[in-house]
Amino acid sequence: MRRKWISLIRYLLLGVYLVFALFPLVWIFLTSIKSPMEVYSFPVKYLPSKPTFQNYQKLFSYAHFGKYFKNSLAVAGVSALASTIMASLAGYALARFKNRWVFPIVLLLFFVQMIPAYLIMIPQYVMFSKLGMLDKLISVMLIYSGIGSAFSTIMARGFIARIPIELEEAAMIDGCTRLCSLFRVTFPLVLPGLSAVFSFSFVNSWNEIFVASLFLNSDDKMTVPVALYSFISKAGVNWGFLSAGLVIALLPTIIVFAFAQRYIVEGLTKGAMKY
Amino acid sequence: MKKLIAFLLIVLSVFLLAKTTLTVVEVFTSPERDAILKNIIEQFEEQNPGVKINLISPPYETAYQKIYTMISNKQPVDIVEVGDWSLSTLAAMGGLENLEPYIANWDGAKYMLPNLLEFARIYKGKAYLIPNAVYAKTLFIRKDVLKKYGIERAPKTVFELYGMASYLTDPRRGQYGYDFRGKGYPTDFIDLFVTSFFDDIDPNNMYLTKDGKLIWSDPRAKYGLELYVKIFKDTAPKDAVNWGFSEQINSFVSGIAPLLYQDPDTLGILKSNLPDNLFETDPLPVGPYGKAYPHYGFSGWGIVSYSKHKDLAWKFIEFFNSPKVLSYWCKNYGVLPPDKRVYENDPYFKSDKYKGWIEMFNDPEHYQFTKQPIWSEAWGKWTELQERTMQEVLLGKKSVDQVLREWSEFWEKAGLK
Amino acid sequence: MKPRRTARFFLYAVLPVIAIVSFLVVYPTIRGVIMSFQNYNLYNLRNVHFVGLENYKAIFTDSRFYEDLWNTVLWIAGSVSLQFVLGFILALLMWKPFKGRGIYAGLVFYPWALSGFAIGLVWSWLMNGTFGVINDILLRFHIVKYPIHFLSDPKWAMWSVILINVWYGIPFFAIMILAALQSVPSSVVEAAMIDGASAARRLFQIVIPYIKPTLLSTLLLRVIWVMNFPDIIYGTTRGGPAGATETLSVYMINIVFYENDYSKAATVGVIILSILIAYAIIYMKTTSYEELEL
Repeated sequence: MRRKWISLIRYLLLGVYLVFALFPLVWIFLTSIKSPMEVYSFPVKYLPSKPTFQNYQKLFSYAHFGKYFKNSLAVAGVSALASTIMASLAGYALARFKNRWVFPIVLLLFFVQMIPAYLIMIPQYVMFSKLGMLDKLISVMLIYSGIGSAFSTIMARGFIARIPIELEEAAMIDGCTRLCSLFRVTFPLVLPGLSAVFSFSFVNSWNEIFVASLFLNSDDKMTVPVALYSFISKAGVNWGFLSAGLVIALLPTIIVFAFAQRYIVEGLTKGAMKY
Repeated sequence: MKKLIAFLLIVLSVFLLAKTTLTVVEVFTSPERDAILKNIIEQFEEQNPGVKINLISPPYETAYQKIYTMISNKQPVDIVEVGDWSLSTLAAMGGLENLEPYIANWDGAKYMLPNLLEFARIYKGKAYLIPNAVYAKTLFIRKDVLKKYGIERAPKTVFELYGMASYLTDPRRGQYGYDFRGKGYPTDFIDLFVTSFFDDIDPNNMYLTKDGKLIWSDPRAKYGLELYVKIFKDTAPKDAVNWGFSEQINSFVSGIAPLLYQDPDTLGILKSNLPDNLFETDPLPVGPYGKAYPHYGFSGWGIVSYSKHKDLAWKFIEFFNSPKVLSYWCKNYGVLPPDKRVYENDPYFKSDKYKGWIEMFNDPEHYQFTKQPIWSEAWGKWTELQERTMQEVLLGKKSVDQVLREWSEFWEKAGLK
Repeated sequence: MKPRRTARFFLYAVLPVIAIVSFLVVYPTIRGVIMSFQNYNLYNLRNVHFVGLENYKAIFTDSRFYEDLWNTVLWIAGSVSLQFVLGFILALLMWKPFKGRGIYAGLVFYPWALSGFAIGLVWSWLMNGTFGVINDILLRFHIVKYPIHFLSDPKWAMWSVILINVWYGIPFFAIMILAALQSVPSSVVEAAMIDGASAARRLFQIVIPYIKPTLLSTLLLRVIWVMNFPDIIYGTTRGGPAGATETLSVYMINIVFYENDYSKAATVGVIILSILIAYAIIYMKTTSYEELEL
């Protein structure tokens, strides 16, 4: 009986949180399928009387949203991949080696987290301008993976440290080199963790606005968040349009996230325990 | 020899065919406006083969900062959109070309609205931009909402505005009167109410009286500001302390508050959100002396001082400011044309949507256009201080006297005379 | 394994991250620090020179700095503690598998996938005191008599932006803690259950000690991030009304936007950085090195 009550309370709480978390998204979606007149109606109108997808149509015909989408995918994908690769190597070294460099390097990585983005944006701009690297997607990828790699390394290191070192040692005794044991034993085990690292840095790069809007100029290099940001004009927010854009912009991150969550929720270290 | 000539011809033709690219950065980006702008650019490119225009459209909220950063790092830009508020910053940076030599040979100058070019010369008496859009606040009213309460016409004075707005206000029904602006540069709204209590504002400086005294230390400013606070307390939702442009428009469109002070670009937004017959514009309500002091805001193109294609850039500006293009631009974007010919040629600008401004332009006795001291280096800081301290008054944390004293001190320190 | 080769492997493995971080973050930070001792102002670009401590003096003698510092403390303490507690509870609720857990996770973790800018924008609309949908619901169900001025009443504003940040930040804690919970050996917990340990005891004496390192390092990071996270506040109130929600990082942006004074903004940035360094040192001293997973 008591058990039943507990599980009832548990589902109730989970349900309450679900409503709390989803409510803004539902509202954005409802707004995106309303006609312009209904968006501003008062008293508040909850359901559109005639759902319309014209905001979505406009989004792709008005602005080159498809192009921006591709740019964002490229920028976020490449920088997340680059920072995950760098982070897994460095994270491995920092987790497995015990020398006097480890501590200062980890401190440096934490230090990087503390730096306000606004403090370094102008100096970064000056640097890239001197190198003739403005208005290039690659520059933005560089900055994202540079800033992202610090946290990714911290995260990757944590995941790798949880894998018992005995497994690697066993492989090495079997005649595998360090690199070989790294790729054959450690990385497969820590892959779920690394996919979490990837998804975090993907989400951060996908959503970044300020660097992208400062460093990129041309329309054909615009990213999705910058495009959404430019729907806010001097004359205020175009809600119908913006909500449609927000819904579209959420899709890739949700897909990446759903993919990574499976690992996180279904047992990040289960694999390791089995060994 | 023949070979050489042939070679030269080839070089020459390559040179001629090679496209010159003009890079243009705009400030007031919006999807609707960009479509209009691109259309004009296409026309220009058609008329000038060999010229390609590369338009950069940063999000509006970051646009000024982006332009400052680009120019201070000498990024390849030829033309920038300059708003009145960024004009002196950009000119002081040395980023803009003095356009006086071009203006001297330009016949469009004759047709500019009265004093507009003078207003554009706020930085050291030289024009660094040619205005292509004029903004001025006027009164927007929701005819249908007012009619519902038996009101047939717009308020003529600020007192009438207050009376009307408080008569309408009934929070239980969600009905309010005035679309108050509390956040995001409320400066214009405060200044309009305060100065309407004066009859001797300096035509060249809204913050001074004709005998050179700061308006903020004048007792009349207190009456103006007190009325402004009363309008907030009695006719606007308390929430309006945190209202910016979007919320103002939102509550006007939904009819929550039918009386709105706004710029002409509001017309562009209302076009897609509100049926045409439900609203009109009217002249700003006047103060106890029967006067109001609207001011011109303006924006336009300026040429970047280190541009390599200045003459071509001027050609573009000249094209843009020709009556036909201006009329298309202003009508669709929803701003006041800077050129008198446009008002004469295009009946659109005689409709009731433009009534407010036209009547103010034609009534210099009651409506004297003036300018805010936007050329001052302290201007940016001022808008922030005024917003913050005004909010403190609205929330009852400071008194009207206190902030007026603070404002006077601020401008005395900034050396406004 | 020869020590020389091991050292080389270590070097090659950490070099990319160190190089890119030094080039793109550390070097610009040094430039930023230098800027804070100059008069790098847009009105004055042709005459940039060192002004000593003038910028710092200007900031420290302004009462606004101390108000913003207090706001920052509230903002961090409120956001992080609530994110932490609620995120922890959520992780515990989700720990034991149930049908559709994967889908549930996908649905409730999505706020983390949004940008701060979008969140601020959407919530400021939802929370509007006049035509906002939250007030509409509260009024319809007679939970309140008058609309709540979430973002325009100074008494509410800070709590409202904190609430938004909590909504955004719960998933991060929940994900990190859930991941750590998965590594708690079920045999240990089961053994305790057989011994008749109460749920509370199991939680505080077995589970929490086991995942303590994750909790501590997540808390450390989160405080740092939240301090440097102006997006939500900027998107909703810009620090208003009357400065009630202005944190130091919002102040920094306001200086850039209103005053065009980059060196003053850099000064605030350096102050933020110094506060965080001091905080991290104290945090690391009071928790032990091993516990932090450093």
